[in-house]
Amino acid sequence: MSLRTVAESRVQRLEVLGENGKADPSVDPKLSPEILLKMYRTMVEIRAFDEIAFKLQRQGRLGTYPQILGQEATQVVPALALEPKDWLVPTYRGQGAYFARGMKLRYSLLYWGGDDRGVHFPEETNDLIFAIPVGSHLTQAAGLAWASKLKKDGAAALAYLGDGASSKGDLHEALTFAGAFKLPVIYLIENNHWAISVPRERQAACETLAQKAWGYGVCGLQVDGNDALAVWRAVSEALDCARSGGGATLLECETYRLGHHTTADDATRYRPAAEVEAWKRKDPVLRLKAYLEGRGLWDERRDADLRARAQEMIAEEVRAYEAFPPPNPLDMFANNYARAPWALIEQRAELEKILRESRDLEEVASLPPPEGRFP
Amino acid sequence: MNLVGAVNEGLRQAMAEDPRVLVLGEDVGVNGGVFRATEGLYKEFGPDRVVDTPLAELGIVGASVGLAINGMRPVCEIQFDGFLPTVMDQVICHMGRMRNRTRGRYSIPMVLRAPHGGLVHAPEHHSESPEAYFCHTPGIKVVCPSTPEDAKGLMIAAVRDPDPVVYFEPKALYRAAKGAVPSGPYETPIGKARLAREGSELSFVSWGAMVYTCLRAAELLAERGVSAEVLDLRTLTPVDIEALLGTAEKTGRVVIAHEAPNAGSWAAELSSLIHERAMLKLKAPVRRVGSWDIRMPLFRLEKYYIPDARRLVRAAEESLAF
Ligand SMILES: Cc1ncc(C[n+]2csc(CCOP(=O)(O)OP(=O)(O)O)c2C)c(N)n1
Ligand SMILES: [Mg+2]
Repeated sequence: MSLRTVAESRVQRLEVLGENGKADPSVDPKLSPEILLKMYRTMVEIRAFDEIAFKLQRQGRLGTYPQILGQEATQVVPALALEPKDWLVPTYRGQGAYFARGMKLRYSLLYWGGDDRGVHFPEETNDLIFAIPVGSHLTQAAGLAWASKLKKDGAAALAYLGDGASSKGDLHEALTFAGAFKLPVIYLIENNHWAISVPRERQAACETLAQKAWGYGVCGLQVDGNDALAVWRAVSEALDCARSGGGATLLECETYRLGHHTTADDATRYRPAAEVEAWKRKDPVLRLKAYLEGRGLWDERRDADLRARAQEMIAEEVRAYEAFPPPNPLDMFANNYARAPWALIEQRAELEKILRESRDLEEVASLPPPEGRFP
Repeated sequence: MNLVGAVNEGLRQAMAEDPRVLVLGEDVGVNGGVFRATEGLYKEFGPDRVVDTPLAELGIVGASVGLAINGMRPVCEIQFDGFLPTVMDQVICHMGRMRNRTRGRYSIPMVLRAPHGGLVHAPEHHSESPEAYFCHTPGIKVVCPSTPEDAKGLMIAAVRDPDPVVYFEPKALYRAAKGAVPSGPYETPIGKARLAREGSELSFVSWGAMVYTCLRAAELLAERGVSAEVLDLRTLTPVDIEALLGTAEKTGRVVIAHEAPNAGSWAAELSSLIHERAMLKLKAPVRRVGSWDIRMPLFRLEKYYIPDARRLVRAAEESLAF
């Protein structure tokens, strides 16, 4: 009889950029200027978009909108590190990831404007629609990766989740499958320290979320999520591991939600302003900018130019969003089944009749023709 | 007082009168709930009795089952109707059958609160009407008030009830429904309907926010010289069978209005009950008016999905013309 240690785990944290934007050469992924500039440009553009979308909501031109302010690195960089064939599985706070994959911002506006036509991903990438029920996409990502493994198509799946979502049983089951079947999947926790009003410490008693990986035979790593280079490096290595048969990785990227949970929330009710201010000093966009300047790749003039062009691009997206004709109510009935059953055929006809008879006749006459597959 | 204020007052008084009562859920404490239903309770009763839980719905309900078995009176909140599916494992397999499985040894005096319904321009999965899944489950009671007075009274009755009660809060009414509310604690009896409007030629049967759509439809019918009454069920299970059959037998024409898709809905069950027990008093088949048998669309189309007063009037006219 004895008491001895039979397994041990340790949690590592990856940081490349200091708060001043200086890189630690021992871990710097030494990315090409092209990738670095693409990262930075996308982060600046999505931040500008976020601010405008917030204002649109306040002006009544958009529904509830979840800001990503402060999370630009964790949103954009992992998506840029993927290949088009890889599966991207974002959360509802995912417009940055979709944008980095090439989705036009007008569709994010349409979706949060309450219009199903906002679900519109580029043809050439494998992007999944996000799940609103928190965490319910995690086991699906395991399935996506599993299929890739069976098909030997060399693709991996990358699923985002929040610190709050890490409490859901779904993560337990997803990691169980990912570990047991050695699946090419990455679970990337955007630990932004808040799940609406509930702080990270209330979610789990463990010191890090990264260490949850060890219980499932999955690699875990904590990453400075406001450090674009660290995020790139961590995701790239996890992808290499996935593609070479090494299995799954859980990345805890520590970042911060600088805004409210959504436009329906008031974060001042539950968190101190000083905490927010402290995190502003670790701004992921400014840190990457300082790094680029240090490498002689960037300057204020180029920055002003980028910001001006971002404003123009976003203004065009807003115009395109608002120029969509209203959705045709009959579109609801499309794409529910490969072939609609009798009940839907009857009900659609009834709605059509109601619309024609109703006092909205003019409104209805101005609608675009119905879209989608029906019956 | 508005409906969310009445929910809040019901919770506060139920907590004040019984130290075993505790409130738990996501964002219910410091933040007072995303709809402010638990506003002020954290300050008044402290963090042991008003608990911000981790984000884990199945954990919230499963833990509540355990709390209830071991002598507490949990009132747990699921933040939105669209996140109820994940808790059905606990609801169906445990909450609803613990009393029977243990041959009466253990009971589950808990309340499971959740917002209900649409028409508030909410995001996807925030406008659902999943009551039928619960009503179909043996061993639980399901209530859904439409007035502030009933909201408070049903809350107190639900907390005091010896069995699990699912309490749906129509979110379109949280701020829109206003009315006088008695100041002290009182019960609105579970299992008793309320006649919201008296009439003689046709009956609307409904619950939650749809009660007001029925009242508008009854107005429109009155303008055309038709006298319609509106029965607000308040409790879905056990349904007030006397009131249901009473109105059916009185007018002979029933339109059941609700926000869920019709197929397999609670309206289908109510319609069967009426047909089975009052067939010979009916002048027309019972009509169900619900949402279409497709998922809730994003909010720009919700007004074409959830029945409005005009759709209720159409159904009423078809019933009258039968
Ligand atoms: C299953 C489920 N429960 C509750 C909600 C309501 N809700 C939406 S986001 C959120 C907090 C999520 O926190 P986290 O996972 O940390 O992600 P973040 O919002 O911070 O990006 C909650 C409780 C939901 N969408 N799904
Ligand atoms: Mg979070």
